[in-house]
Amino acid sequence: MEAIAPMSLLEARAVEKRYGGVVALAGCSVVIERPGIYGLIGPNGAGKTTLFDVITGATLPDAGSVGIEGRDITGLAPYRLKSIGVSRTFQECRVFPQFTCLENLLFALQLHGGGKAKEAHRMLELVNLHGSAHEPASSLSFGQRRLLEIVGTFIVQPKFLLLDEPASGVNPVLLETLADFLRTMYRERPGVFLIVEHNMQFIMQLANELIVMHQGVVLDRGAPAAIQASPRVIEAYLG
Amino acid sequence: MPEGLLEQVINGLMMGSIYVLVALGMVLIYGVMHVLNFAHGVLLAVGAYVSHLLLSRITGSYVLAVVLSMAVLAVIGVALEHAVFRPLRGNLRNQVIASLGLILAIENTVMWIWGPNALQMKIPSTQSIVALGELRFNLHLLVVIGVTLSVVLALFLFLRFTKLGTAIRATSQSAEAALVVGIPVERVHRLTFALSTALAALGGALLGPLFLVFPAMGDEPLVKGLAGIILGGMGSVPGAVIGALAIGVVEAVSTLYFPTDYRDSVAFMMIVLVLLVRPQGLFGVRVRGED
Amino acid sequence: MKTDWRKSGAILGLILGPVGILYCLPFLVSGQPYLLHVIALSCLYAIPAIGLNVMLGYTGLVSLGHMAFAGIGAYTAAVLMVDAKLGFWSALAAATLAAGAAGFAVGAICLRFRSHYFMIVTLAFGLLLHSVMNNWDAVTRGAAGFPGIPRPAPLALGEWAYPFGPLPNFYRLALTGLLVAFAFQWLIVNSKFGRVLAAIRQDEKLAAFKGANTMLYKTTAFAIGSAIAGFGGVLFVSFLRAASPDAFSLAESINMVLIVIIGGAGYLAGPILGALLYIGVPEYLRAANELRLVLFGALLVLITLFAPQGLAGLLERGWRRLRR
Repeated sequence: MEAIAPMSLLEARAVEKRYGGVVALAGCSVVIERPGIYGLIGPNGAGKTTLFDVITGATLPDAGSVGIEGRDITGLAPYRLKSIGVSRTFQECRVFPQFTCLENLLFALQLHGGGKAKEAHRMLELVNLHGSAHEPASSLSFGQRRLLEIVGTFIVQPKFLLLDEPASGVNPVLLETLADFLRTMYRERPGVFLIVEHNMQFIMQLANELIVMHQGVVLDRGAPAAIQASPRVIEAYLG
Repeated sequence: MPEGLLEQVINGLMMGSIYVLVALGMVLIYGVMHVLNFAHGVLLAVGAYVSHLLLSRITGSYVLAVVLSMAVLAVIGVALEHAVFRPLRGNLRNQVIASLGLILAIENTVMWIWGPNALQMKIPSTQSIVALGELRFNLHLLVVIGVTLSVVLALFLFLRFTKLGTAIRATSQSAEAALVVGIPVERVHRLTFALSTALAALGGALLGPLFLVFPAMGDEPLVKGLAGIILGGMGSVPGAVIGALAIGVVEAVSTLYFPTDYRDSVAFMMIVLVLLVRPQGLFGVRVRGED
Repeated sequence: MKTDWRKSGAILGLILGPVGILYCLPFLVSGQPYLLHVIALSCLYAIPAIGLNVMLGYTGLVSLGHMAFAGIGAYTAAVLMVDAKLGFWSALAAATLAAGAAGFAVGAICLRFRSHYFMIVTLAFGLLLHSVMNNWDAVTRGAAGFPGIPRPAPLALGEWAYPFGPLPNFYRLALTGLLVAFAFQWLIVNSKFGRVLAAIRQDEKLAAFKGANTMLYKTTAFAIGSAIAGFGGVLFVSFLRAASPDAFSLAESINMVLIVIIGGAGYLAGPILGALLYIGVPEYLRAANELRLVLFGALLVLITLFAPQGLAGLLERGWRRLRR
């Protein structure tokens, strides 16, 4: 029986975006068809965060479209992301500073059904933050806040996780905790994890596939080892 | 041409000139420090009172009183920048709230010292009449328009061609870049404040003799000046000038067609309409996002 | 189980006790009607302040036109009671709803803007509404004010009647109104809805990404705050038996911001503390009106610089230090 072409999970089609005179995305296309941990890497200014912004509706593209599970979501208002199973973190790390760690986690749950405090506690324990469960998020160190932010995206059980530089600003000890957490989460609920990272060590050990962006387009993709050896990629980083 | 149109246009240009002076002060501060100083109206009133005091007690010369009053207000402006706005830098909400507190404190100090009754400022130019064709105008009216135009021109030249002026323009485009280039940003802030409060003082000193000097006299010019910079575009200096003049003229002309009671509402409605239809105004500069 | 009852009983006593005393206040100050008048006025000022606190303190919306909505409530009730001969309680309900609806409509427009622009549009709307109050003589009686606004008809229970003409009786009405508004504020703050408002205040963009339709929440908060202001406005003009546009001007809106910030924005008791301070202290000091406002203006600047959490915040911090 001839199968209909599989619906892609996440797809960006010829997305263009400029900010004033600067071209952030120049016809960027990428298709993700399988669950997995995907590393999105590339030199500064390659357009990685902008791609996130377009996918999550934080900004409207000048051209092109983005789709989730076959449905066009270009320009979908950010507050609708939850209902299509998309969750993201931010480069600058955003948490609610006056809410406690627990309240931060329960907030997202509260908006869609009840808050499962037990699940929140478990998550906090996984990242060693259960001791600060009742402390305001502003009292945490930057690395801990990153962990809180990331845990906060997982608690709503999304199908698509977009993490923007989760390792940036996190010390090596916490990085271990973070990597373990991500692996655990993937094991429990495999989905599409799209992770922008500059920390090569971190992303190499986690990702099963790397997508390389350069100057607003996707340059190459493949298994980490292959990408490391790819001449195009090496030139992009060094050239 | 409807009867009275030319007369109203000239009236409008006159009031518009006062609004221009307020608008310029606010747009300079906004451009450089990204803050709206709502206390500008009350500083206009202080300028009027100070010039009245100087005129009646110290010097018989109106011109000297005006200039000295501008100097006094410039000093007050620097003091306010240092004591109130500098410490609150980066927190927009608190800066606006602090400026509200300043309005209250300053306006009521004026009332406390001088009393609530209005004062009169008698100067030669309000006593003379000028004829333009069939119309008769108070000379002072034309003085207001003339002085304002000269000041606008002088400001334009200053911003364009002097070192300090360029520093102000650079800082308003990007404070970080200005720092990198070696511009003394703190000094620029102080100077901008001094400049804008001096302009407010000029507005007050010009407005005073026209009608009366009273504590709340700056409230209306404040809102009209605000409407002017919204219409012109929040970051734009030429926009502020054109916008404020336009508000003055439209408002004056509207009295030919609508009951004068609603004259003030013209400016209020302009604010709402412009923000709904074209929020960046006529010459709007998209200032850094306020997310 | 027994301890739970005892604890609830203790809390209830802790609340009912002071409230009971407040209701009996007229007896405690029976020789000083002026003092009672001042306290009643403080209660009436605190109600719109509570409305603004929901908007500004809890949601972070700086509205510079708040008192215009108190005016909408006041004038709607005035017209309903005097022209349409409606009873006080129906007029109160209708006017509160009208102010809320106006708040929703105006909010829907203003909230499309952020920070500076939002403040400016609320300022503009406040001025427009005030202008209407001042100039629409046919309905609002214009700048001279709207006289002849009645007190509520006496509450009758069989033979016993409770009139609202006398000051102590109206004071109790004002107090009840304040308690109702306070309870409503408490319910909102502690609800799921209030939690979202708090999130919006801290980081609106993040709240949206977590799934909150922030525009809807903010507009609703604006509407609720306006409704509460309208509620207070009706009581206010019934107290004075007249409505004047001056009571709902830009200056009054600014004073209201002052009351909320000085009292403590984002604290339940903030509006009450602010109103007490604003009305009560200068009356007590018999200071000139101008001096009071100079001091308050300066106080606002100082609080913004050094104690942005306001009086309620300072008290809370002091209380916490004492307990250590």
